[in-house]
Amino acid sequence: MSRQTMTTEAGTGATDRMTVNGIDLEVLRRGAGRPVLLLHGMDSVSPAAPYLDLLGRHAEIIAPSSPGFGHSPRPDDFDTIYDLVHLYLALLDELPYDKVTLLGLSFGGWLAAEIAAASSHRLDKLILVDPVGIKIGGREQRDILDVFNTNPAEVKRRSWHDEARAPDFDAMSDDELVVHARNWEALCLYAWHPYMYNPQLKQWLGRIRVPTLVLWGAGDQVVTPDYGRAYAGLIPNSRFELIEGAGHYPEQEQPERFVERIAAFLKS
Amino acid sequence: MQAWYLCENPYPFVPQEVLDQVDSVRASLPNKYCDPKVAAQLFEECLDEYRLCDEVGLNIISNEHHSGINCLYSASPLILGILARETKNVRILSLGTLVTARPDPVRIAEEYATADVISRGRIDIGFVKSGGSEMASANSNPIGNLERFWESIDLIKKTLSEHDGPFSWEGKYFTHRHVNIWPRPYQQPHPPLWAATGDPETSVELARRDIINATFVRGPDGTKKSWDAYRQARKDFGMPKAGPDRFAYMGFTYVGDSDEEGMRIGDKALWFLRVGARSATQYSRSLPGTNPPSQAPLLYRSAPPPGRSTGLASGVPHVGRPAAAFRNVTAEQAVARGVMFAGNPDTVFRQIMDFYDKVGGFEHLILMGRSGFMTHEEAEKGIRMFAKEVLPRLREVVHHDE
Repeated sequence: MSRQTMTTEAGTGATDRMTVNGIDLEVLRRGAGRPVLLLHGMDSVSPAAPYLDLLGRHAEIIAPSSPGFGHSPRPDDFDTIYDLVHLYLALLDELPYDKVTLLGLSFGGWLAAEIAAASSHRLDKLILVDPVGIKIGGREQRDILDVFNTNPAEVKRRSWHDEARAPDFDAMSDDELVVHARNWEALCLYAWHPYMYNPQLKQWLGRIRVPTLVLWGAGDQVVTPDYGRAYAGLIPNSRFELIEGAGHYPEQEQPERFVERIAAFLKS
Repeated sequence: MQAWYLCENPYPFVPQEVLDQVDSVRASLPNKYCDPKVAAQLFEECLDEYRLCDEVGLNIISNEHHSGINCLYSASPLILGILARETKNVRILSLGTLVTARPDPVRIAEEYATADVISRGRIDIGFVKSGGSEMASANSNPIGNLERFWESIDLIKKTLSEHDGPFSWEGKYFTHRHVNIWPRPYQQPHPPLWAATGDPETSVELARRDIINATFVRGPDGTKKSWDAYRQARKDFGMPKAGPDRFAYMGFTYVGDSDEEGMRIGDKALWFLRVGARSATQYSRSLPGTNPPSQAPLLYRSAPPPGRSTGLASGVPHVGRPAAAFRNVTAEQAVARGVMFAGNPDTVFRQIMDFYDKVGGFEHLILMGRSGFMTHEEAEKGIRMFAKEVLPRLREVVHHDE
């Protein structure tokens, strides 16, 4: 299997736009190297996040904001996980590469797992970082912290190894706050019911045929490492790795370690 | 003018030490604090109060809230059924079962049709968008709430009005492939429709649908804004002018022998705002869809940036319910703000007419006549006083167009 060699220019950090299936998307581009389609988590990618430049030394990052997130508008009737999965399958068609590495964070990890289960022949590798998307426990057990019905202070405590790294709303610009509010609404629209998971996905993860890295913040209490191990256990060619000193957002809390693990995986 | 009595059957007996330690008195307060024997007594008193209203000619309202101390009526249709059978004279408004929080509008229509038949045509149907704590309690997505509201109303209305055999509905939010309810409603084509709302945008749509616009505790300015939007919308749509019968206002109301008694006992009802309305931020300000993202700069910061005031009452502006601004309101302030009418009969009549003049007239006065620690005896006295001393005068009020 040949590898596509990449000769793209390093991204400037500006955001592009793409149109996929008639849908307008904001797309952040950064770095150079093998293409990595990065699907953001509960919040859209912050262009100033340190992990982007670090990862950009190893990969060309293509990070769209899903409809309703960031500055991507959301068309009427685009309102389900099904729509998101099909949008990204269509986006893969638009990219000038035979295969890409798919990297999904949290909510984006759910989407990445769905896409990989549907179409892993379009990918060369899969990376899931603290993904949601499946239910492991019984009907009276919560695998995934209910971020909507829980007090925000408690959500913060369970999400961050060091709460000081959580977003500081007082330090954010007006645009950043508006984006955050948009992200919150979009997440609620897509993920309210069933809450943060697809009951059917679990039984199809076995279809993922590419090498998969499942990274987990050791202190994640949104979805715990045990949940993560079970998730990884359902994907055939996968390995599970913990990142110490991080909760649900290891890319933000431990950017160097995060990128080291990914770089090692990409080389392997 | 007509008057409608409302008491949400609150449960005020949770110890204050417990209430002080929780972030919400709705949705998440464990029901171990609800003693069912006490609740049974409260239900008996509230249902007796409704029976008294029927005797004295005061219309009545049943409502629904979930999972909290503010209201034990978790299922308005159940109460509606009781009232349909127990009363003989007055009209009964359900304002209402939460159509956005219930998955089956056809079932809602069946409940309403049944109550309408039992009461021989005395039911009015009210729609409420539901507040934040209801979303958690009902597993109901706050995003799309307003769209769901309209689709549910459309399906309920069609279900009540179609008589030629099963019809099918496959909408965005509701699917019901075979609709054909028995019995059909007593009133044709269907009972009168109301909706509770506080914002002018929704009032426009209510005007278009000819639905009575009820606002709760908004004060004269907020109320006038909504109702003027309604009146203007009727002009814009080329529809008949909106008469006062399209407008309903709820204020806390207590009539005593004296101003002192009216204010002292009326003050007890303000528990509803001071204690009973406290929702945790995840059910209110932080709930997705509560405030448009454009307002995030005002809402997310711990203090407004220099040179800017928030100018925005936190809470749930899209529901016709009061904001956190009322947390420490006194009776005098409540009266001054037009959210309470209290005093001796003359005083209360004057306060209501004051409000009437400020908002351009309205036909339906909704009294929240009991809440908090107000006793059953006090509530019944207030009902009798209102019915005897104020209601006859309200009935004589004739609306003059300006």
